[in-house]
Amino acid sequence: MLSVALQILFRRLLLAVPTLLAVSVLVFIVLRLLPADPVAMSLPPGATLADHERLRIEMGFDRSVVAQYGLWLQALLTGDFGTSIYFRRPVADLVRTALPNSIELVAAGLVLGVGLGMIGGLAMFALRATPGETAIDLASSAMMSIPEFLWALLLILTLGVALQWLPFFGRMAPGMTMPPPVTGFLLIDTLLAGRLDQFRSVLFHLLLPAIALAIALAPLIMRILRSSLLETLNEDYVAQARLRGVPERTILMRHALRNAALPTISLIGVQAGFMFGGTILVEVICGYPGLGNLIVDAVRNHDLPVIQVVALVYCVMVLFINAFVEVLYLVVNPRLRAA
Amino acid sequence: MRGPLATLARRALWNPRVLAGLTILTGLVFCAAFAPWLAPHDPNRQDLIMMLLPPAWDAAGDPAFPLGTDGLGRCILSRLIYGTRIALYVAVAAASGAMVLGTVIALIAGYMGGWVDWLVGRLVDTWMSFPPVILALILLVGLGAGVEKVILAIIVVDWTRFARVIRSEVLVIRRRDYIDAARLAGFSHFRVVLREVFPGVLPLLITLFSLEMGIAVIVEATMSFVGLSVGASTVAWGVMISDARQYMNQTPWGVVLPILGIFVTVLSFNLLGDGLRRALDPRLQRRSVAP
Repeated sequence: MLSVALQILFRRLLLAVPTLLAVSVLVFIVLRLLPADPVAMSLPPGATLADHERLRIEMGFDRSVVAQYGLWLQALLTGDFGTSIYFRRPVADLVRTALPNSIELVAAGLVLGVGLGMIGGLAMFALRATPGETAIDLASSAMMSIPEFLWALLLILTLGVALQWLPFFGRMAPGMTMPPPVTGFLLIDTLLAGRLDQFRSVLFHLLLPAIALAIALAPLIMRILRSSLLETLNEDYVAQARLRGVPERTILMRHALRNAALPTISLIGVQAGFMFGGTILVEVICGYPGLGNLIVDAVRNHDLPVIQVVALVYCVMVLFINAFVEVLYLVVNPRLRAA
Repeated sequence: MRGPLATLARRALWNPRVLAGLTILTGLVFCAAFAPWLAPHDPNRQDLIMMLLPPAWDAAGDPAFPLGTDGLGRCILSRLIYGTRIALYVAVAAASGAMVLGTVIALIAGYMGGWVDWLVGRLVDTWMSFPPVILALILLVGLGAGVEKVILAIIVVDWTRFARVIRSEVLVIRRRDYIDAARLAGFSHFRVVLREVFPGVLPLLITLFSLEMGIAVIVEATMSFVGLSVGASTVAWGVMISDARQYMNQTPWGVVLPILGIFVTVLSFNLLGDGLRRALDPRLQRRSVAP
């Protein structure tokens, strides 16, 4: 079972390689349209034209676009991600610190969003054909009509500024020192260092942006769960179970919910790209040191090496989640398991 | 009016969601069209004595500025009203562009099948592996800032939303008997696609278009928040939010009111799209209305 799943995962990831190559070409070409001069931007004030020319050659901008791409790809494959023009640090370092933060944020958003969505979906189902269902449905329409980053702003105003329940800026309380980096995931590293106070701070700083992401994800889960629950209850085997005298609650838990899990899982796969996209501005607004903050800083400063790599990292994560979801789907779905 | 299209239109108009969406939308179009008459002030006029006023219902408010002023003493109500112009302009232009591009590609791919369909499928896969915001950001870095660039970016990013859904619908329709009948009757491929296939995807297209307008409003707000959309003299809700963010601790209104504007606009498009989907999708009809 596990080996089959791993095999499929591996095959899916292999199939993702051409997609990634296509993406990298696309990013590269688009960024060469750039009206600004990245060489001039990375020179100190008072640099001479000769300096400019020297750096231009050093950065490879004197070659053809194809040759530039080839060089970049070659370096990438050998683990050299380039150097940031703006931060003047290796891109790999920047990504290594930012990526775990973003993964923690997406994971927390996913858990909260699925939880909230399941509660809402079950409530809608329980209240079906009553005004309660319409009310929840309208509420979910409203939740969907505000993008994540604006939810983050509203949450800062309410939970952060007015009620002062949650911190809303940064990754941990100011003045705290970072735990020794072991995994890069601060939630884990603070525990490994045995610093519960730091763990609390890191967790609380994660909550507000994660809630903003969850509010955007939950309505979709809610709706798909409700409609698949309704669909399942029309199936013959549910009628059979009812005839056998199985209580309604058991039917819901044992049969209906399990079947409704499938469309929900595939929805998460479809939404992965949007979830990651949503984190970008949420991170900016909450001053959360993840990939989103990194790429927006890079965009504002025309920092090409950073933009290229971070865009690719986002695609890798989306492709990875898609592959993972597909495997999960197979594991959960008994109809496909036999094949 | 008679005929199947009239029946559909009548059915759609009876849906409460469609009615609510259309009502809000009419109000927004009215605001955009008559902005110079409705707005109490020039949206760009700064009044540095009147900075950060709360709304008029607050004790410290000034009746001349019904919703208060921003950090440069500009009238928030006037800026909100003018902001509808950019939002609606981007919504219509970007959604139309994405719809035309996506539908044409989907019709060609779905109808022709074979390697064309395969190629389009791979293209859509590649596009979908980008978080849309990332692709839009990269495009805007390449193209430079501006509303027209934002519209172009939305079209280039979001045509896949139409292409993916319409293509699978075309695949279903293509296998219907009446398509074969039309071919046998000697109609050209072009005519078959235009007269037989296209009407079949039209209800779906209208729904997607409505939802896409909402998405376009959000993307424009996002990009103007980051500073990649409108120029300094144009009013956009995203810019208002970004400006007001630094004064958020003193007065929340500068942030809350434009968010409300975005919310109302996107909600109207979502209600409209959602209602149209329920009204027009035959699979969601419990009982057929036509005899």
